[in-house]
Amino acid sequence: MENFIIWMLPLPPLLSFFVIILFTNKRKSMSHGIAIGAAGLSWLGSMIIYIRALGVKEFGRHIFGSSINWLPTGSTWLKIGVQIDPLSAAVIFFVAWTVLAIFLYSIGYHNFGQPKGDNDVAGLPPHGATVTENGHKHTVPSIEPMYSRFFAFISLFAFGMYTLVVSDNLLTLFVGWEIMGLCSYLLIGFWFGKPSARNAAVKAFMTTRIGDVFMLLGIAFVYSFTGSLSFSEIFKPEMLGALASTPAFFGISAAGIIGLLLFIGTVGKSAQWPLHVWLPDAMEGPTPVSAMIHAATMVSAGVYMVIRMFPLISAGWTEGMPLNMTMSVIAFIGAFTAIFAATIALAQNDIKRVLAYSTISQLGFMIAALGIGAYVAAAFHLVTHAFFKALLFLGSGSVIHGMEHGVMHTGNHVDPQDMFNMGGLRKKMPITFWTFLIGGLALSGFPILTAGFWSKDEIFAEAFGNGHFVVFITLASAAFLTAFYTMRQITLTFFGEPRSKAAEHASETPWTMILPLIVLAVFSVSYGWVGIPEQFPGLGGLIPNWFHEFVGGTLAELPKAIEFSWVPLVTSLFVALGGLFCGWLFYRNVKSPQQDFLQIPVLKNKWYFDEIYDYLFVKPATWIAEKFTSLFMDQIVIDGILHSVAQFSLFLGHAFRTYFDKPVINEFIGDGTGNAVKASGSGLRKIQAGRIQYYMVASITVLVIFAVLFYFLLV
Amino acid sequence: MSIPLSWFLILAAALFSIGLFGVLSRKNAIAILLGVELMLNAVNINLVAFWRYQDPAKMAGQVFAIIVFAVAAAEVAVGLALIISVYRSRKTVVADEIDLMKW
Amino acid sequence: MVFISNHLLTLILFFPLLAAAIVLCLPKDKLKAIRWTALSASLVPFVLTVILWAQFKSDQPGFQFQEQYSWYAALNSTFHIGVDGLSLTLVLLTTLLTPLALLASFNITDRIKAYFMLFLFLETGMLGVFMALDLLIFFMFWEVGLVPMYFLINQWGSEKGEREIWKGIKVQSRNYASLKFIIYTMAGSLGLLLAIQLLGVLFNTYDLQTLYSNWAALDPNSVILHFFSLGLTVSTIKTIAFWAFVIAFAIKVPVWPFHTWLPDAHTEAPTAGSMILAGVLLKLGAYGFLRLVLPFYPAESARYAGWLAFLAVMAIVFGAFAAFGQKDFKRLVAYSSVNHMGFVVLGIAAAARAAGTLNATIALNGAVLQMFNHGLSAAGMFFLVGVLYDRTHTRNLDDFGGLFPLVPIYGGILIFTSMASLGLPGLNGFISEFLVVRGSWPVLTLYTAVAMIGLLFTGAYVLKGIKSVLHGPLNDNWAHGEHKLIEINLREIIVMAPLMLLILVIGIFPAWILDVINKAMMMLFH
Repeated sequence: MENFIIWMLPLPPLLSFFVIILFTNKRKSMSHGIAIGAAGLSWLGSMIIYIRALGVKEFGRHIFGSSINWLPTGSTWLKIGVQIDPLSAAVIFFVAWTVLAIFLYSIGYHNFGQPKGDNDVAGLPPHGATVTENGHKHTVPSIEPMYSRFFAFISLFAFGMYTLVVSDNLLTLFVGWEIMGLCSYLLIGFWFGKPSARNAAVKAFMTTRIGDVFMLLGIAFVYSFTGSLSFSEIFKPEMLGALASTPAFFGISAAGIIGLLLFIGTVGKSAQWPLHVWLPDAMEGPTPVSAMIHAATMVSAGVYMVIRMFPLISAGWTEGMPLNMTMSVIAFIGAFTAIFAATIALAQNDIKRVLAYSTISQLGFMIAALGIGAYVAAAFHLVTHAFFKALLFLGSGSVIHGMEHGVMHTGNHVDPQDMFNMGGLRKKMPITFWTFLIGGLALSGFPILTAGFWSKDEIFAEAFGNGHFVVFITLASAAFLTAFYTMRQITLTFFGEPRSKAAEHASETPWTMILPLIVLAVFSVSYGWVGIPEQFPGLGGLIPNWFHEFVGGTLAELPKAIEFSWVPLVTSLFVALGGLFCGWLFYRNVKSPQQDFLQIPVLKNKWYFDEIYDYLFVKPATWIAEKFTSLFMDQIVIDGILHSVAQFSLFLGHAFRTYFDKPVINEFIGDGTGNAVKASGSGLRKIQAGRIQYYMVASITVLVIFAVLFYFLLV
Repeated sequence: MSIPLSWFLILAAALFSIGLFGVLSRKNAIAILLGVELMLNAVNINLVAFWRYQDPAKMAGQVFAIIVFAVAAAEVAVGLALIISVYRSRKTVVADEIDLMKW
Repeated sequence: MVFISNHLLTLILFFPLLAAAIVLCLPKDKLKAIRWTALSASLVPFVLTVILWAQFKSDQPGFQFQEQYSWYAALNSTFHIGVDGLSLTLVLLTTLLTPLALLASFNITDRIKAYFMLFLFLETGMLGVFMALDLLIFFMFWEVGLVPMYFLINQWGSEKGEREIWKGIKVQSRNYASLKFIIYTMAGSLGLLLAIQLLGVLFNTYDLQTLYSNWAALDPNSVILHFFSLGLTVSTIKTIAFWAFVIAFAIKVPVWPFHTWLPDAHTEAPTAGSMILAGVLLKLGAYGFLRLVLPFYPAESARYAGWLAFLAVMAIVFGAFAAFGQKDFKRLVAYSSVNHMGFVVLGIAAAARAAGTLNATIALNGAVLQMFNHGLSAAGMFFLVGVLYDRTHTRNLDDFGGLFPLVPIYGGILIFTSMASLGLPGLNGFISEFLVVRGSWPVLTLYTAVAMIGLLFTGAYVLKGIKSVLHGPLNDNWAHGEHKLIEINLREIIVMAPLMLLILVIGIFPAWILDVINKAMMMLFH
């Protein structure tokens, strides 16, 4: 029964995608009905599975799963299948909730129920419709022209995520992974009429594809080494032992190389440095997409995959040992990304871009946690982050939506995403404000109350307790910056007085957008309580550390809970509260970008990574493609060789004609023979006098000569 | 007493020479034809003489002579006909003047 | 019925010729009659192939449905045909694509009779290569296929365009392309013919199955064929003959650096011609590798596999780069064939190096499936480019832009097919590319790793196509007036539908076809 439900989990969104694309493309309400119904079905299935999983004792030992033969390979088959183990159960829980919330939110976000726009065209955001009310005209938001298509795409996206989570093998995981990649491409480029959106979509796809091709190699490697792709086969202790003890290249073990290759996939998908550049640009997509990509699904998928592959990555490593090569790389990339992205987030003015960089930074936390072997902490932060970041994105979307309403109402065309045009929105959009505040506090790690605190605290404790001080200090600094820019964002957006006419007329968004915010806000607070460490002063032990037991059970050995120490707790409290306070302090009176002391060009321009990559990779690749390969190598060199062969043949033919056929055959042999015969004929015709007597004299003379000759010679 | 073979041969050679001379020196086609006849008859004398003196038992010499008669008769018939035909078209029987096919 | 089932292959093979004869008898101004006759006639081989597929026993080793007739007794060459899992797959591809190509050609009005007849000839030629079990027959059909395609490109190719060859001399593109195509392929087949004659002289037979065993049984150090009293050993002769085969097939595939005829020919050919060219004709080369090179020259293949892999990787990487650099949409798609066929050759190279292992089987499965998949997606892409060209009379990517709102159905189909070409998991291209990468990674690790650059840029050029055509600001030229872009019509959707269906089905459930391929590969190479 469970297995059947698990097999069926990804299906409703897929069917919804096909039905919407093929049949209900024109019917908006039917499309969103189908999509939400499908998401609801998957949600229901996920909850059933989740609850059943909770009911199983030692679930990590007795997971749900089944598999079928899929690809014939020689005399064996490559099996694919589904499974739900504690880790995927935890992930599917947040996926189901956030997906459903985002689907519902999209209805309001795309202005369902509003009139059709005056000059709206597919491929551009709706520009608003003019309505006449009580005799005077004003502009109201208009419905998205490609409303149905949006639901089709996010359905496919949900299919990809469900497939990824329920996979029991790397191959179908990769299938889901790539389908999400396609959907993120389609959705980031949803308003494809805007050149910026179109370029962002391509950038996102290409950057993640860099990671994907490495990941494909990693999959090929692990498959050829172990002969299987299913997690249960790969994670068998003897297999892991073989993987860890077989050297591959550069003196790293096979497990290490595979781990690195797969991790590069994560670097692309989860936007870690140095492949982080696509994510901020991905903000070109509609806001529910941002939430979908950056919180619930795609970027989480990257982290999920490395957490999933943790036994392989850490093969041969046990807690307390120095990190192996792969883990060090992972820890370094994660920690570096966490602080690096946080610095950029400080200087961004676009409300969604701040969140984008904060996402990169938070994913860095998880990656770093995994790199130092903090398996449960990474998974915990993954789940809590999914909730509060989805909340923040949807909240920012709500803010933008409210601002757009103000923009249309007043005709004051300011950028509705620029935080310096906002201010004072807490009174205009109270529910959005409160939920956004909860999300922001969770992101900052506001103590005790929020989920973000518990998960981040666990990462600090692990880093400190296992002696990874560099990682600890880096992450702590990043956490300080996180709290700081979060408070900067909240202060600029909601506090103070409105800084534009649009902000004055911003209005609260419809219930379809508010309800998801409330649901996610609840989880952003409460989900932290399932993972309170046992030894936490005061609270520890009140609720058992369920998350640790449950998710930790996925591994062969339950990870040890870290010894309690005051240092990380105090640090955590200090950076969260200090950051929040500084953010409020510095920004409560800032009115314009000029007063913002953090508008430093290097931060504003994201450390110039786009420019550097453009110069290092994009331009040379374009040059190779456009100038070198087809124009020079093919058309000049290779075709040149071919043409010179042709030219040589032509020359040879010409030479034969001019220097042999014409002079030798035609003139010498052909004409020459004729001429010679002619000349000799005209010479000889003299003796052909036609007088019979001459002939007779000649013949008699010859006769006589011969007679004489014969006589003397023979006789 | 008989006439030795050489006498016949000398006669034949003389007759042949006369015929040859006629053929080579005359311009009239009929005269040339006559010369040829003389040469043929010289040959006949030779044939008959050799038969008589060498091997009278065999008839080969006589047979050849008769063949030569026949050929000569035929030749004269054809030759004269040709000459007449040439004469009709060219009004001449002088060999030099019959030069229609000359270069 | 008995007759049909006993002569299934002959019927499939020669029915197109019969159809061509019927078309010949039709009056030339009855366009509709000609079109429908040709189309319905070309469906017969397809139906028969489906029957063939159903009756085919994939577990049975060797060739099935064999038929043998005396043909050229003096040379001991017989008309021997038969199929195994490998050829069956490609026969299916051929008989499937030909009706679609004919349906795609319904908008042709110029000398339509000759056009459809050439297409039917072409089908027989291609099928003959896949079915032949006699080297001479193989070679004959190999050459037969060239001629119709030459005329299709030369006579019905795109009328615009000039190509500068040297010293400023310009020739019409389609003349240039068709000549390059036919001369290049013929040049390659010279060596092939010689090598085939060598085999024929040595063993006094051209029968494939006999040759397989005889040729392998030769002692490599013994001296045969005292050419000019040189006294070449068997291994030397085998090496020479190996390269003769390889070059002939490498030109056809085409492997880098023999590929430059391809973008020209594909670009200039009429839409349906490009479909068949990319869909089937390129497979002839790869089929030659699998049917002749690997079984005949296992030792040589293993020895030179590194070179082959190198060329394959060059094709993958530079094919992708070149496609990315194109401004002409059709040329972009043409270069994508170089890129995709590179994976086929990479798989073959890996299988040659590691013959008999599981890696080899997986690589070969991938290579054969990639052939089939590329047939579907490349044919689809060329057709879609043709659809656009019919309406806009331009293929320059800079002339389009933002067409998606005007042609949403076309746009959806284009994105779908592009994604298949890109190798998106869930669609067919991924399965085969994955299998090839999996098979070659342990064998040719470095090459496989470098090939990933090509896989990356596959994404780049596919996205470039979509980006330039569908996305971005709308080019007003196509929005209204006489140039207003018309949505894809029903006939064109019907052409795409079977392709898209198969792309999706193979992507989700590849076992139905891969099982046949897998068993064939196991029996052929173990």
